[in-house]
Amino acid sequence: MAGEFEFAGIKEIVRAESVRRKKWYEGKPILSMLLLGLIIAGCLNCSLIMTKDPSYMDLQNYNVPPNREFLFGTDTMGRDIFSMIWYGGRISLFIGIVSTVISTVTAVIFGAFSGSAPVWADRFLMRLTEILLSVPGLLAVIFMQAVLGEANVYSISLVIGITSWMSIAKVVRTEVRKLRSSEYVIAARCMGGNFFYILRAHLAPNFVSSIMFMAAMNVRSAIVAESTLSFMGIGLPVEVISWGSMLSLAENALLANSWWMILIPGGFLIVTLLCITDIGNYLRKNMNRMESNL
Amino acid sequence: MGRRILCFLLSIFLLSAVTFYMARIAPGDPLVSYYGDRAEKMSPKERKWAEEKLGLDDPITVQYIRWLERAFHGDFGISYKYKTDAVDVIKGRAGNTLILGGIGFVLIFVLSLLLGVLCAWNEERLLDRMICKIGTAASCIPEFWLSLVLILIFSVNLRLLPSSGAYTVGGEGEISDRIRHLILPMVVVVASHLWYYAYMVRNRLLEEVRADYVLLARSKGLRKRSIMFRHCLWNMMPSYLSIMAVSVSHILGGTYIVETVFSYPGLGTLAYESARYQDYNLLMVLCLMSGILVILCNMAAQMINEMIDPRMRTAPVMSKSRKSRPPEAAGKAGK
Repeated sequence: MAGEFEFAGIKEIVRAESVRRKKWYEGKPILSMLLLGLIIAGCLNCSLIMTKDPSYMDLQNYNVPPNREFLFGTDTMGRDIFSMIWYGGRISLFIGIVSTVISTVTAVIFGAFSGSAPVWADRFLMRLTEILLSVPGLLAVIFMQAVLGEANVYSISLVIGITSWMSIAKVVRTEVRKLRSSEYVIAARCMGGNFFYILRAHLAPNFVSSIMFMAAMNVRSAIVAESTLSFMGIGLPVEVISWGSMLSLAENALLANSWWMILIPGGFLIVTLLCITDIGNYLRKNMNRMESNL
Repeated sequence: MGRRILCFLLSIFLLSAVTFYMARIAPGDPLVSYYGDRAEKMSPKERKWAEEKLGLDDPITVQYIRWLERAFHGDFGISYKYKTDAVDVIKGRAGNTLILGGIGFVLIFVLSLLLGVLCAWNEERLLDRMICKIGTAASCIPEFWLSLVLILIFSVNLRLLPSSGAYTVGGEGEISDRIRHLILPMVVVVASHLWYYAYMVRNRLLEEVRADYVLLARSKGLRKRSIMFRHCLWNMMPSYLSIMAVSVSHILGGTYIVETVFSYPGLGTLAYESARYQDYNLLMVLCLMSGILVILCNMAAQMINEMIDPRMRTAPVMSKSRKSRPPEAAGKAGK
């Protein structure tokens, strides 16, 4: 019997279905990116899109509902809302971005400084941030705006920027605290790298992913803060067109029951905010993928 | 305990000093709020007399020390605009804000727990995903715009609810009238904060459900419902409570905007007016009040944590509770 094998059959090779590769667009917030891109492009190229001069007050056609000539209607001062949306969007987005840059830079420097300072200074600085953090943000903004007096685009961005850096600073500080005694930071310090060099070359790459989402959310809250301030009459004056100052005419709109003056600028505002949130959420999920243990 | 009280007093003192100096350095004429338009027509001599009468001609530091001295005796000066004691002006308004903010807070507290549990129970199912989407969208809507749209729908077009004030003139005592005036502002206050806390509850619960003790409880044969409510929910309570304690100031800050939109006679409109018209004494009392509230809430949060979870006794609790907030916190902080 030796040497004889019974032929039992060949086991078929199971051809495993090759794992379908993800298309480039899967899992990415395509719709939000597209919408946000459209809005930004429209605002940047507003001179091509606008059908009317946004600041011209057409006193014959005030408070006109949307029609062929005035696509989104006109406001109570006779200005064309369609043109104002694109023209004013630039200022709203500008304020959002500038104040985020201000707050993020402040937060990174403050956080890194506090993280690498001796313990007592760190404790003091963090106490300070906690106190500042517990003041309702908008109240602080209102108060500072009252102190600065007449608002313009830059002063508003500044005020919003310096009232919203605290939470990012705390995150940066925690990360820096973790990193500061690691070998490569010590090595860099031994070789004479100064504070800003170490921050840029060694510390920043480590915390950039965790503050990305917060920075995106700061853009969002800055835009909201600007529009709220302008709406309440302590932000941008009515002549400076932004989405917020367009809404500051809302009281008149309510009296005249003209829905287009409230819904259209607000709609643009909210779509922009939603897009930013969506992209921010995507950033967070993608960046923090390693940390999740679920 | 002694150290804590010292800290508290020190912060109050610093807050009062900062507010005082900032308000006085700010451009603007406090005489306008006292004398109205007449202030602009005053001759220099009259002006000087008026400033002397209100004690505004001394250096700021002297004014501050004088204010401090009086404040220790319980005298916070008179409101320039209302010409009566600042504390009395506030007393008349505080009730309204307390009703709006207090009921709003309770509603947010209960609803966010319910919504969070509902989401965590149906994790990744249709209901959960739908609530998450709607909640994210709702949290993007600025408070003032939501109020505007609600006014547009319910009071301008449907004529169901009043658009402003806390009561109809003459009907101050009627409860039904009060409630009707309260509905719209309340909806805005709750809607704009609810998702933020509900999302936190959901995420904490999802973390909790994955812990080992849940597996043990399951293998012992406990029912899902009792694990969820008896164990998971209780375990996340400390962090939830401490966040809710800190949130008091945020919810109050939110009611301020809502109050101004609905011209609801509360502290928010008062603070706004006093900051705009340089009503120094009133502004100081309001700032101090909100400062004290904020600090008390933070202390309460710390105390709750220490009571429930002894591990937190030495660690700085504020940073702990902040870290456990959902990442949405960053977005809201500026709000």
